[in-house]
Amino acid sequence: MSAIVLENISKFFGAAAAVDDVNLQVETGEFVTLLGPSGCGKTTTLRMVAGLEQNSTGRISIGGEVVSDAAQDFFIPPERRHLGMVFQSYAIWPHMTVFDNVAYPLRIRRKSAQEIKDRVERALKLVEMGRFADRPAPALSGGQQQRVAIARALVFEPRVLLLDEPLSNLDARLRTQTGDEFRQLQKRLGITSLYVTHDQGEAMALSDRVVVMSMGKILQVGPPEDIYQRPHSRAVAAFFGSPNFIEAEVKACRSDTGGTFVLELDGGWIGPCHSTHEIKPGNKAAVMVRPENMRLVSGDRGPSATGMAWKGIVKESIYRGAHRSVMLDTSAGNLNIDLTALENPAVGAQVDVFAAENSAWAVPI
Amino acid sequence: MTSNTADAIPRNQPIAMPAPLQSFAQRLFSGRNVLVVSLVAILSFLAVYPLAMLLYGSLHSTPPGMAGEFNLNGYKSILNWSNTVVLLNTVAISLGKTIPSLTLAVLLAWIIARTDTPWRDKLEVLITLPFFIPPILTAMAWGMLGNPQVGLLNQVWKWATGATVSPINVYSYGGVIWHMMQYSTPFLFLFIVDIFRAMDPALEESSRMCGASRWRTFRLITLMLMLPALTNSFILSLIRGIESFESPLFFGTPAKIEVITTEIYNSINHRATPDYQYATALSFAIMVMMFLLVVWQWWLLKGRTFTTVTGKGYAPNIMKLGKWKWVTFSFCILFFVITVVLPVGQLLIGSFFKFFGFYSYDMLTTEHYVAVFNNAEVWRAMGNTMLLGLLGATAVMILGSIVAYVSVRTKWRGRRLIDGLAWLPWMMPGMVLGIGFLWAFAMLPGPIPIYGTIWALMLAYVALGTPISVRVMSSAYAQLSYDLEECSRVHGATFMQTMWRILIALAWPSFAVGWVLAFFGIMRELSASILLYSVGSEVLSVVLLRLWANGLAEQVSVIGLMMMLLVILFRWVQLKLIKSRISTL
Ligand SMILES: Nc1ncnc2c1ncn2[C@@H]1O[C@H](COP(=O)(O)OP(=O)(O)O)[C@@H](O)[C@H]1O
Ligand SMILES: [Mg+2]
Repeated sequence: MSAIVLENISKFFGAAAAVDDVNLQVETGEFVTLLGPSGCGKTTTLRMVAGLEQNSTGRISIGGEVVSDAAQDFFIPPERRHLGMVFQSYAIWPHMTVFDNVAYPLRIRRKSAQEIKDRVERALKLVEMGRFADRPAPALSGGQQQRVAIARALVFEPRVLLLDEPLSNLDARLRTQTGDEFRQLQKRLGITSLYVTHDQGEAMALSDRVVVMSMGKILQVGPPEDIYQRPHSRAVAAFFGSPNFIEAEVKACRSDTGGTFVLELDGGWIGPCHSTHEIKPGNKAAVMVRPENMRLVSGDRGPSATGMAWKGIVKESIYRGAHRSVMLDTSAGNLNIDLTALENPAVGAQVDVFAAENSAWAVPI
Repeated sequence: MTSNTADAIPRNQPIAMPAPLQSFAQRLFSGRNVLVVSLVAILSFLAVYPLAMLLYGSLHSTPPGMAGEFNLNGYKSILNWSNTVVLLNTVAISLGKTIPSLTLAVLLAWIIARTDTPWRDKLEVLITLPFFIPPILTAMAWGMLGNPQVGLLNQVWKWATGATVSPINVYSYGGVIWHMMQYSTPFLFLFIVDIFRAMDPALEESSRMCGASRWRTFRLITLMLMLPALTNSFILSLIRGIESFESPLFFGTPAKIEVITTEIYNSINHRATPDYQYATALSFAIMVMMFLLVVWQWWLLKGRTFTTVTGKGYAPNIMKLGKWKWVTFSFCILFFVITVVLPVGQLLIGSFFKFFGFYSYDMLTTEHYVAVFNNAEVWRAMGNTMLLGLLGATAVMILGSIVAYVSVRTKWRGRRLIDGLAWLPWMMPGMVLGIGFLWAFAMLPGPIPIYGTIWALMLAYVALGTPISVRVMSSAYAQLSYDLEECSRVHGATFMQTMWRILIALAWPSFAVGWVLAFFGIMRELSASILLYSVGSEVLSVVLLRLWANGLAEQVSVIGLMMMLLVILFRWVQLKLIKSRISTL
């Protein structure tokens, strides 16, 4: 049974659709991330699941139970959906102590004092905030407030945890650490999580599945590897990093195992390439090669059967510490390549560049 | 002269004096110190001097300016049973209006800031309008509306029901409280509505997610987060209620309900020989009470203001009311009708009938307009009010801008003292300040004849207005980042150029908004004016009161309408400014 099901969900603010006909299923125990540029409707989607916004069309079910159905004008308010939520601003109540903040959902549910004490202590220990129970909430750092917010969202054992950019207010180092810790906690408790972020790295590192959104629509849903290496479209591919797109003509197309296709391409070199789309021979396709999958080779290897190769002139070379970004002028246009930090071709030098066959992926133009 | 150039001179110039002496002289006469010292002197003259004279006068046996002896008779004479009743009346009336006003203000602020009531922005303008109407106008209007014999409301009621007894008598405790509520509710509303607006919606949403219903969230989160601000508003409103003069004067005194302000007024104006020592001792006592209230307020709020404001410009939670939105809409309209339409309507009707209370066709007349336009005294008062308003508001705002600059944007020594001095009149009722200035002017050396001129009123108005102008300008400066100022310096502008081109250029809309506020404050002022005016320096509010006392309610209506026009005009300009400022900043 799916923990969350969204069927044809839309949300209109006035005439503009913030979320446009979204369908999504989140399985029990799964960690699903909504990813997309700012303003693409992630928060609105999350808030409709929470019940903080009412969906204009479609139906939402949580744990097999319908919580909102626009067609029937049926709507369960947020307090009766039994969900935990962590807000971007954490929303820690400044007039309460840490303990009172975390105890709030239990007090609302009229639990006994003893049970409240036990469960709050357990929740605080889970996020390693046990020592701070008696602190007034305003006397906490950003990272600590974030932990309290998670403890408060988990303390009443909600069916689903919703998180809206919970790490965006932390500094870079703390962000990675807190994210990893949260992922471990989520796996340990097995709690279904729907997570919103605009940070690709965060989405990759944390999620079981990533939902890429743009302008209110879902572009692609899949595990991080799929989204990154096997995008359905140029838009999804371009959302992560700055990949190279090389135009090529399709010579032949046959289906492969697993619903993908193998294309024979001619783009100054001849070679096979995989795609999720069937592209008829004679049409053009864009071959995506990520900069980190390209490398310089010495000597003339020619268009070998196992990959693609170009000759080019180094136009720009930027040292970035962990690696070096180089831009080459080749017959296929400008190509961006990430080299190791130790390689340092001179600007103006003629070089050979090579990309393995399995690093290329074709998308429709 | 800027502090920086002053500091730089000793290093660059040949030494003419022994170095330590010279740098001492430099420090003493640097522009900064001259400014600080003059500010301290001006503010002390406006607040500390009258306060000190109040103490002096309360111990002095004769009226200001006459030889006498020092004794405690003033304090002895205020300690009696009738003054205990006066004190209880004062506190009870102020509490009695503060509690319903605050409740009403919270309700109205919630409707405007948090519901989908139609035309909320327009309603907000209407709801806040009564705050800007001089209370003396509405007091006189309600005196006519709720007069037990011929009041319009009573007449309508009798006509509609055939009853013979009047249901309404404004000359009562209820009348005093009713009138006070009309301007204290919008005053509190202005404070509270922004708190409702600025609150991070996530603070309430997270409570909903934790399983709390809307109503519980409102009680446990929204109200509790607002508690410090509500406490603050409560005490502020209590203080304003104790200081209030118009309402008890119009509705209390005729019914023998006296409060401290009217008791002070009566002891000077309505006794065979004015008892200055008694009045002054009473004034000093009320100052002590105010001081204790302020200390209480400060103690209650210590470390209890929460930052609940979001950085993001998110809209707060708006509650969809469905059909109920028409109920909340009507409620706001009803408030406007009661506080503005009824009194202004009464003034309009009153101005066109021969005698107030007798409304029939053959009584229609314009003779009151003619009478008012031919009344030289009215024109003189109008001129005085305008002159005082224009000059006074400008002076108040310039003083306030400088004080606010020194206290929020510099680290100069003495800035806290300046800030404190400027705030002092905040807790001085106009009546008390008036008495303080009576003594203060009388004690000035001979060749400074302030008393009896309009400059006496001007000084009182500047003193009373400064705390507000400082607040307006402080918050304007606080919104401007230091970077703007520093960036200008880095790009080569001097201190004065920076002031002119950056700070004033950016802060002038606030200056203008504050100016209008100060002008309103001067136009409505009665309690200090009534003590400090003399023949030739009457202001409109004083003339209105005199005409009213002579039974000329009809002419009062005409003048009241003219003042209303002025209020609406200025308020309109102010709103325009606020709007354009919000859209540009
Ligand atoms: N309450 C609202 N009223 C009007 N428009 C809104 C409201 N909330 C969001 N929007 C609009 O909906 C779109 C999606 O917003 P949001 O879901 O917050 O995006 P994201 O979280 O992906 O940055 C944006 O264009 C935003 O301006
Ligand atoms: Mg968002």
